[in-house]
Amino acid sequence: MDDERVTDGDQGAASIRRAFDAQLQDAKDDVLRLGGLVEEQLRRAGQALVERNVELADAVRWGDADVNELQRQVNLEIAAVIARQGPMARDLRELLALYHAAAELERMGDYATNIAKLAQQLAAEPELPLFAQIPRMEELCRSQLRAAMRALVDLSEAQARAVCAGDDEIDHLYNSVYEDAVALMEASPDRARQATHMLFAAHHLERLGDRVTNIGEDVVFLATGRIEDLNP
Amino acid sequence: MKTLTRPAPDVRATAAARTGRELPAEAVLELRGVSCWYGDVRAVRDVTLDVPRNQITAIIGPSGCGKSTLLRSLNRMNDLVPGARVEGRILYHGVDLTDRRVDPVEVRRRIGMVFQKPNPFPKSIYDNVAFGPRVAGFAGGRRELDELVERSLRRAALWDEVKDKLRSPGTALSGGQQQRLCIARAIAVEPDVILMDEPCSALDPIATLRIEELMHELKERYTIVIVTHNLQQAARASDMTAFLTMGQDRAGYLVETAPTTELFTRPRQRLTEDYITGRFG
Repeated sequence: MDDERVTDGDQGAASIRRAFDAQLQDAKDDVLRLGGLVEEQLRRAGQALVERNVELADAVRWGDADVNELQRQVNLEIAAVIARQGPMARDLRELLALYHAAAELERMGDYATNIAKLAQQLAAEPELPLFAQIPRMEELCRSQLRAAMRALVDLSEAQARAVCAGDDEIDHLYNSVYEDAVALMEASPDRARQATHMLFAAHHLERLGDRVTNIGEDVVFLATGRIEDLNP
Repeated sequence: MKTLTRPAPDVRATAAARTGRELPAEAVLELRGVSCWYGDVRAVRDVTLDVPRNQITAIIGPSGCGKSTLLRSLNRMNDLVPGARVEGRILYHGVDLTDRRVDPVEVRRRIGMVFQKPNPFPKSIYDNVAFGPRVAGFAGGRRELDELVERSLRRAALWDEVKDKLRSPGTALSGGQQQRLCIARAIAVEPDVILMDEPCSALDPIATLRIEELMHELKERYTIVIVTHNLQQAARASDMTAFLTMGQDRAGYLVETAPTTELFTRPRQRLTEDYITGRFG
């Protein structure tokens, strides 16, 4: 390749547009803050599910408003930077990627809320089927999310590709929950409701993992300018 | 002769910087029903506008809508044009600048101007900057003047480029440097407000961005009003934007004033929307 492509972590030449750079950094910081907020929502939702903690699940449901509000702020912020600064090339890609990442994070926040709702419905059950895969999925989703946010900060194509590759394990765990849930329903039809709820929780986590992958694709787009499907 | 009171130290800006909270900005200039005439021709009609302190206010609008005329009325520059007159009031810290008893020389010292084309005097870089203070009867000695020249050139982000050639002619600098020299010359007399009339229209994009960055730094100390044809420049560089257009009578009038982000993302007036989206005329 004889053109000088932007490589991992390359922030480009020193800019004379300091005001613009500061605005871009603000937008990035807010998206990272949104990522942190969603990660915490997910952690609490997972804990509420396992511990059958209704209050904690309630806190997650209330907390979703903060996620939505921050995403709304990020949207306005990025729209203003695009309108005012006329960003080009890498700057434009970065703002578009951040805008999209914020939308994905907001959706992940919704999945965390859905899991919290399931936790509340299951809390009244005398006994829960133990699907050990679910806490593992929740943990994996959070570490994937952290890795995607790090890739976004570092503008690292390599890290982003690793995040996308990591989604396979979440998918695998989901398939395993599916099999276990069906087996439980067949063996004990009276527990079909519980099994379905757990299957839904796993499904939300699987979808959340896909959204993380989308952020990984955003980072690849940011670093290379190419749109790739990394979660075929 | 009426005297202009010296502005108080900018406590509000300092407080805002400290708390990180935006306070409603105090208006340095308050235009009230301002109309500008050249003989029988009205060039600007009935403009009412506040220019907030320590902010950059951009005036945009199509050619011939009276942007420059309005700007020049703010420091009595139009006094120099035969037949030119201003109606309405232009309040600067409460004093009406249109009052004939106000000394225009004093007005121009407080409210400086940078023009479309860089116009350094055919003198050395040093003398260009020292010119204003000397004419105003600078009281200090040689060392104090040296310091003032250095401080002005530093604030205009030009010092590092010219410190070894202060005796070279100002006209030998590049276009962008000449414009920064003119800014240094304007701030050497320690004005309160700097008016800029299309300051970048003769400059290349990089020199333009340098001036915009400089404006961003200068607004900590000064209030800036800039007239620009370049919508992107207004969007990038200003805090407030005023949109002027021309009426049936060919006089310019104010359509809308708003914080720049608001004006460029969700203007209130259809005329503004049409102009900034290129659907004008």
